[in-house]
Amino acid sequence: MSESAEILEQRIGRLRAAVRQAVLAADKDRASALRRELKQAEQAWEDALAQAETTLPAGLPDSPGTAPSQGPPDGPRTAPASLLPLREQIYQALSLLTVPAAPKLLATVHEAFFASTFPTAKVTSLKRDEERSFRTAPFARPYYVCAALTADLLAPARGLLAVSTWPMERRVIGPLSPRVDFLSAAIQVAAAVERLPSPVPAASRLLWRFAASIPGAAQDAARMDPRQIAQAAEAELQVHQSADSETRRAAAMRARAQLDDAEQLFGTRLGAAAQRVGHMAGRGGQGRGE
Amino acid sequence: MTGTEAWLARLRGRALPVRHNARTIAALAGNPGCARRAVLDAAGADKHRLAAYTGFPAPFGLSRFAITRGNAFEAQVKASGAAELLRILREHLSLPIPEASYDDLSEVGGNASPELRHARTRGLLARAVTHPAEAGTMFDHPLLTLRVGGRAAYLEPDLIAFQLGGQFRVIEVKSFPVVDGRADGDKVAAAAIQSAVYVLALRDALAEQGIPPEAVSHETILICPENFSNRPVAASLDVRKQLTVLRRQLSRLARIEDLLAQLPPGLTFDLDPDDAGVPRRRPAELAEALRQVEARYAPECLNTCEMCLFCRDEARGGTAALGREVRDDLGGVEHVATALRLARGTSVPERGSELAEAADLLRTAARLRADALGEAV
Amino acid sequence: MSTLTALARALAAERGAAQRCCAVRHVHVSERPLVFIPLALAGEAGAPLAAMIGDRPQDARLLTVPEPRDRDQRFAFAAEFADIVLEHIGRYLTREETVNAREPRVRFADAPQLLLPNPAGVTFTRLLGRSTRFRRIEGPYAVPENVPLLGRWLTFFAERAEVPPSSLTLPMTQALAMHWATGQSALEDLNLGALLGWIDPPPGLTGAQAAARAEDPVRCPPAGPATDPTFDNEVLEPRLLAVRTARATGGGRAGQRAKDALADALASQLAPIWTLMWRAVELLRALPPGAHVSSRWHADKDAFTWHAGQIRDGGPPQPRRDSAVSAARRLAGLEKTQAEYAAQRAFDDPLVMAEYRMTGEAFAGTVTAAEPDRVDVTGRRKVLRPRVTVETGDAVLAAPGVVLTSPTRPSQQARVVSVAPAGDRTAVLLELRGGMGRALTPEPGSVPEPGEAVCYATFGNGFQRLPDFPAPEDTPWTHGGPPQPYVPSDDDARETWS
Repeated sequence: MSESAEILEQRIGRLRAAVRQAVLAADKDRASALRRELKQAEQAWEDALAQAETTLPAGLPDSPGTAPSQGPPDGPRTAPASLLPLREQIYQALSLLTVPAAPKLLATVHEAFFASTFPTAKVTSLKRDEERSFRTAPFARPYYVCAALTADLLAPARGLLAVSTWPMERRVIGPLSPRVDFLSAAIQVAAAVERLPSPVPAASRLLWRFAASIPGAAQDAARMDPRQIAQAAEAELQVHQSADSETRRAAAMRARAQLDDAEQLFGTRLGAAAQRVGHMAGRGGQGRGE
Repeated sequence: MTGTEAWLARLRGRALPVRHNARTIAALAGNPGCARRAVLDAAGADKHRLAAYTGFPAPFGLSRFAITRGNAFEAQVKASGAAELLRILREHLSLPIPEASYDDLSEVGGNASPELRHARTRGLLARAVTHPAEAGTMFDHPLLTLRVGGRAAYLEPDLIAFQLGGQFRVIEVKSFPVVDGRADGDKVAAAAIQSAVYVLALRDALAEQGIPPEAVSHETILICPENFSNRPVAASLDVRKQLTVLRRQLSRLARIEDLLAQLPPGLTFDLDPDDAGVPRRRPAELAEALRQVEARYAPECLNTCEMCLFCRDEARGGTAALGREVRDDLGGVEHVATALRLARGTSVPERGSELAEAADLLRTAARLRADALGEAV
Repeated sequence: MSTLTALARALAAERGAAQRCCAVRHVHVSERPLVFIPLALAGEAGAPLAAMIGDRPQDARLLTVPEPRDRDQRFAFAAEFADIVLEHIGRYLTREETVNAREPRVRFADAPQLLLPNPAGVTFTRLLGRSTRFRRIEGPYAVPENVPLLGRWLTFFAERAEVPPSSLTLPMTQALAMHWATGQSALEDLNLGALLGWIDPPPGLTGAQAAARAEDPVRCPPAGPATDPTFDNEVLEPRLLAVRTARATGGGRAGQRAKDALADALASQLAPIWTLMWRAVELLRALPPGAHVSSRWHADKDAFTWHAGQIRDGGPPQPRRDSAVSAARRLAGLEKTQAEYAAQRAFDDPLVMAEYRMTGEAFAGTVTAAEPDRVDVTGRRKVLRPRVTVETGDAVLAAPGVVLTSPTRPSQQARVVSVAPAGDRTAVLLELRGGMGRALTPEPGSVPEPGEAVCYATFGNGFQRLPDFPAPEDTPWTHGGPPQPYVPSDDDARETWS
């Protein structure tokens, strides 16, 4: 290792210790300042090492980029990144589930049935981009990844994504809707697992996540019958369906009447909706006006 | 502002009041006799900051790994309309199948302001009692308040469930494991008292709307990972004892005037920040101000209070610093030097005085130790 | 806790250094103990992050888990750890000894000893044993071959730690605190660095100063298994991230560098504790052993032999929970061994005996009169029953008729005949029986002589039978009926370790 890299390494060690001491002394400002210095030192160290490596004669077994990693393979096999843009992957996963869903679930669905996954961190910016894109040129694209709306205030439901081409009723969320959608998704996933030509571990794991929380769906992860799971889900669905549909129908009606196109897709914030919801009492037929 | 509130504000100085949360309220139950803690907490002082400023920063910290793991487990339990939690409530408490509705109270129409969330929480909970047919089942991230020492603290239990025998139940999700049916006793105890805080807050919220306290069960639910997996498992906690202790503690805090009356007028813990926010108060002066309020240090403080190192330093030379049992074993004598003088016989208390019994005890011990070691104490 | 120990703490506080509260050592210290310092990932149930293991100060082995959340890597760690532990244990499976001339039996001549820094380390060992001993070595959730075996041994060690007289598994903070009283609280004594700071401060520092230094986690890392949160957040997290990133972008030199950097960081937290552990071993070795230490170690060797036999004979791993009968038996056994252990420590150690002298359960004094040849003719045969009078300044609780024992003549019984004041002291008349030979005159030295300093206690270390418990198959229905025989199941093998 070059001399400068070694000196940097010592400096980095001292800086790390200093950051820790600043944190222990509850001195936030000093800790931040030290962290900034630390980052610079680490970058300089990386650069120094990269420099040293490029000066290695070629043909050495450990030149960068040639040798495979040494030692036993470590870590789980992470699914490779897809060639499709993020919005397409999310659309694929949502279309399989046919109900609004959270980014984490969508990533798992995609890994299970489309052999690649995506980082959920990028999803927030995607939502913002989709809304901007719609507002700039409404309906220009065949579909948009949009929000699901809360039935009472027609605000974007936290953490859920939906497809713009779905009917409004499917894109509003009442109190029973998370459960109803979970059961519907289970039915879809069970059907998708049945269609697989050969077992996919990620898909089985996903199916078990549904089956484990549905009474009568499956004994254990090793003995799952997709048809039985779908039946069990259907059975519970019957219990909730009419109440949930009632709520969703009423909310969808209000949304179509009171919101503009963009708001119907991406929701409205409290303030605007409160005025329009106004005197509505009860909830959807049982709405929850405050 | 009342006289007491003004007083407390003056003690706190220009800093913003520190918000209580369930953990800090639960910690109040731990050391009831400590006036220093009671006053600092009532004033909303930032104990962490004060301790660090006097050169005795609190030895507490949270590893991000622990936080991440805790958040991940909670997210998993609550995913998809709290599907896993629903399974547990159905298995553990026979929740009827139709009861499956889920309300997320973490925001109101995209707005996360505490006042809005608290109002909506109160509304939903009250409606659940008065209109049971339209009641919800699971209320996620509800926001409650509790009056602590004259100030309202916002409290956010993990989840509240309803329609379990017509009662509300507080549900806490923790990421420490239950292995073969057993979990770390200290951690369960901490979870129990935190849950009790939420029960109190929930009962208070409902009482404002004329709903009796029995509407909230004194049995809370603790959700933990089972063995070495992520699969959640539930345990019931009976928190009646904790509720009694908490109520007693909170009522003591409410009588903070008695403590304040004993303090020198003009006492403040203000750091005197300049325009750039840099504190100007001399640390030694602040330490002196803190010492005006009596503390009751015990080694247990090292696990629960941010002032622990400051108070420990102050308590050096006292037998309490060695532990409550040790102090008792030394006949209740307060200072190490006194105990040793009594043990050596260089200090002889009057017969019949308080220290006489302790002196007998200590002298015997000193004699026996000297005998066994062959050297004087 | 008692006044004597409290007094010792007060003295330590005054003198600035720990004070002895035992005159001898009450634990066995092996010639080559296996020191194990585990580190766990915060927030996980016993998830190993790294460990330092070895049986000699110069032979530290560092094991790390570059991706602590990865199941395969955890088991790879367990496999590597297993190799070390099983090799160490294996050395004790070769030499045997025969004991008990009347009913000879064979046991291993010595047993391994596991040293952890603190009780939390024992808990970690128990968890690690629990998470590995039910695994299968074949099938869909197979683990490396020696992992379940490691689990059984770790569980064995963890269980022995709960038996007070056992020295097979020692948390060092506990072993040290048994023998030294510091000028801080018992809670603070759980910090190995602070405890050693009081017992063995560096030159120029008081115990309190050395302990304060040890409480600074940047200078002196905590002894684990918990790591310091600032270490986690500022050092560990970036290095784990670097390993993950390097792996995702193809590994190679960057991957190796990242792993080395991680190992360095973890070593920096373990190496100082390693030094402390061996210093603690030295300090304990320097104390003279109490007389009963070796007999208790024999019992440990018996336990080791039994467990090794269970494994060799193909028995099942320890069940998850005690059956009703074994729980009751274990509890009664513990009470008995506790009492025996306490008595032995008192007999071996005048400082420990002093605590009983405080309460009147024992007294020490001088023999003022003796009738060594006294014979009792009231019965059918003539028997030797010498009498001695002891004067003591201690409190005497024993009433006439109570039988006492003396540490210097443990096989002799001393029955209290009378207790009477003698000025401001007390005179106790004792009648002696046994330990004097078979004749009607006592063997020389078997009866205390006038002027001799003696000590008598109301407890002895005699053997007591355990209460009779039903055989496990006869467990009454009130206690759940006979336990189901344990059959390792698929669930156990499959049980996730996430």
